Amino acid sequence: MVAATRGIDRGRVGADAVDQAFAEDQAAFLRVQQKAGMDFFSDGLLKWQDIFRPLMGALGAKPHTLVRWFDTNTFFREPELVGKVPSVKNPEGVVAAASVPRPRVATLPSPYMFSRAAHTDQDRNRLMVDLAAHVLRPAIDAAVAGGAELIHLEDPWLGYFGIKGSDWAPLGEALQMLHRDLKATLAFHVYFGDAGPHIAQLLRLPVDAIGVDLIETDVDELGSGWDKGLVAGIINGRSSILESLDNTVEVARHLADTVRPRNLYLTSNCELGYLPTGVAEQKVLRLGEAAHKAKELVSV
Amino acid sequence: MTAELDHKPLLTHEVGSLDKPGWRVKAYAGKPLDDKDLEEARAWGERLTVPEYSKLLDLLRHAPFSKEQKAEIQRWSSLYALRLEESAGLDVVYDGEQQRTEMYDWAVNHTNGFERRGSVRAFDNKYYSKAAVVGPISLREPFHNKEFSYLVSVADAELKVPVTGAYTIADWSFDERYDVDTDLREPAKDRRRKRQAARRDFVLEVSRNLIRPNLQALIGLGARWIQVDEPGASTEADELDLFVDSFNASVEGLDATFSTHLCFSDYNLFFPAIERMSQCRQYAVGFANYDSRELGTSDDKRPGYQVIKKFRDLSYKPALGLGVLDIHSDFIESPELVRDRVLYAVKVFDDPKRIHVTPDCGLRTRSWKVAYEKLRNMTAGVELARKELGLPNTA
Repeated sequence: MVAATRGIDRGRVGADAVDQAFAEDQAAFLRVQQKAGMDFFSDGLLKWQDIFRPLMGALGAKPHTLVRWFDTNTFFREPELVGKVPSVKNPEGVVAAASVPRPRVATLPSPYMFSRAAHTDQDRNRLMVDLAAHVLRPAIDAAVAGGAELIHLEDPWLGYFGIKGSDWAPLGEALQMLHRDLKATLAFHVYFGDAGPHIAQLLRLPVDAIGVDLIETDVDELGSGWDKGLVAGIINGRSSILESLDNTVEVARHLADTVRPRNLYLTSNCELGYLPTGVAEQKVLRLGEAAHKAKELVSV
Repeated sequence: MTAELDHKPLLTHEVGSLDKPGWRVKAYAGKPLDDKDLEEARAWGERLTVPEYSKLLDLLRHAPFSKEQKAEIQRWSSLYALRLEESAGLDVVYDGEQQRTEMYDWAVNHTNGFERRGSVRAFDNKYYSKAAVVGPISLREPFHNKEFSYLVSVADAELKVPVTGAYTIADWSFDERYDVDTDLREPAKDRRRKRQAARRDFVLEVSRNLIRPNLQALIGLGARWIQVDEPGASTEADELDLFVDSFNASVEGLDATFSTHLCFSDYNLFFPAIERMSQCRQYAVGFANYDSRELGTSDDKRPGYQVIKKFRDLSYKPALGLGVLDIHSDFIESPELVRDRVLYAVKVFDDPKRIHVTPDCGLRTRSWKVAYEKLRNMTAGVELARKELGLPNTA
C-alpha cells in the first residue's frame, strides 16, 4: 500500500492498484488478528490518512493545516470546523469492510480530542458537544449497524495536554450523547500521557470502559474495585522491542487481581501505526499470546 | 569557530529535497522506462538547458543498466535538479538530494549500529522508513562526499550541503540498545527517568560518532556552508536542551558555516533553548504553512510569521531563512504574496541582511513543474521586495 499510494500521488499507478494493495494489506492484517485469537477485530484503519479524515470527508469539510501529532513524527490535517457543525449523513468511511470478522471494534476520535485538535472559531466545549451530537453519534450508529460491538474512543489529547477542571462536565455531557441507548460497549482511552492523576474523574464518565496507557501510567495508581471495564494499554505501540510474554502476562494478572475491573481488555497503549507492519504484526501476536495465557491464569 | 555567513540581503536558497524524476527512480530500481519517462528527461533537459542532455537520453534507451550506469543516471538527476534551482534564480543551491534515498534512510544506511525495520506513515499517504539502533554507532563511510564532489564540479551557484541532524536521526529511530529493560510493574516515574537518560546517550552518540565525522569529511572536501536538518527537533517539548546539545556537539570547533532547518512545529518551543546555539548562523524555518494567503504586511495579514520576533531577538543575531512557500500544497504563491511575507520579515528585523528567503522545507512532495513555478515566483517575489526596499536588483 505504501508503494501504491506513493505511485498514485505521482501519477504512476491508478486507483485500482491502490484498492488492490489495500485489500491485500487488510487481508494480511486480518489473518494476523485471527492467528492471534483477538476477541475484537479491526480493519486497522489502513485507509485513514489520519484519525479525523473519514469524518471530515463525511462532513464535506476540507482538511486544514498539517500539524504534528503530539510528540510523534506523524502529522494530521487540522479539521477545519468554522461555524455551526452540520450533521453527518453518510459516515460510510468509518464502517469496516464486509471482510472484517465480527465482533468488530470501531475506533474514533473522542469528542474532547476532536474539539481541541480542530481549527475553529467556536467555544471548544460547545464544539465538543456538537461534534458528539452531529458527527460522532451518527458515525457510531453506522459502525454499530455495520457490526461494531466495541466503540473505542481515542483520547491522546487528555493524556498529553491534560484537561481543565471545568471541561469534565461538558465532556461527560458529550459522552452521554454517545452512550445513551448504545447497543455496543463504549470505551474512552487516554494515552500518550499519565492517566493516574485523572482516574477518579475518568471513572465518573458515562462510558463502559476506561483505557489507560500503561507505558506512561503507574499500574499502582489505577486504584481498585472499578465498576467499569479497563482497557489496558499494555503493549508499547511506539517501541520496536517485542514485549516479554511473561512480564505482559504478569502485569495483566496484577491488573485483574488489584484493579478488579468489570471487564479487562488488553490492547496496545496507542495505535500501532507508528510501527512498521512487520513489527506491528509481531506485537499483535504477542498480545494474543499474552491474553490467552492471562485468561487461563485468571480463570484458575 | 563557526564561520560567519556574509551574504547579500534577501539571499535565496532551497532547503533540501526535490522529487526524483520517474526516469531516475525506475532506472535505479531496474524497472522498464516508457516514452513518458524519456519525454520527461528530454523536456526538462531542454527547458533547463542542461548541457549534452541527449547523452542522458541515449543512456536511458539502453536498459538494463549496470551499477556504474545507474550511478551515472543519478549524477544526471543531480545535474538536472541543480539546473532547476539555478534556473529558478536561487542564489545558493544543491541537488535536491537526488543521490540519496531519503534524508533519514540514507544516513542510517551508511552507519554501523542500525538495522532497518520498515515504513510508517508520516502524513497523508507519505511514509518514511525507520531503523532501530541495535549496537555501537559509527560512521561506516562519509556519505555525502561523492555527491558533494560531483556538485562542486558542475555548480555555477554557491552550494549549501543539507545534512540530517543527530536529534532527528535518533528521534526517527527505534531504540533497541539504550532503553531495553521495560518492566511495567516498575513505578512509571522510574521508567521515565531511565528512558530520558537512554535518550540522551543515544542522541549524543549520534552527534559525536556519526554526524561530526561526516561533517569533518565534507569540510575536508571544501564544503563551506552546511545546513543541519532537524525537522524532528521539537518533537519532544522537554528535549529542546538535548537538541541544542546535540547540535553543539556535532559542530563545535569545526571550520564552516552551520545553519539548521526547522519545520512544522510550534516554534515558540525552541525558546529559550536555542539561546545556547550560537554556532548556528542561520535558521531556515517553515512559516508559510501557517500563514494566510492574503496580501499585506501587517501583523494580522501575516499570522504565520508572528514568532519571527523571537528569532530576531537572539543575542548572537543569526540570519533567518524565511519559509515563504507551503511545500504541502500545489498552490503557487504569487510573487506579490512572497514579496509581502519578505517585507513583513524585514520590517520586524529592521535588517534585510538577516533575512534569507526559502521554501518551508524540501519540495520533494511536489512535482517538478509545481516546484519550479513556486521557486521562480519566490525569486520574483524577492526582486519585488528588493525594489520596494531600494536594494540593488540582482536579476
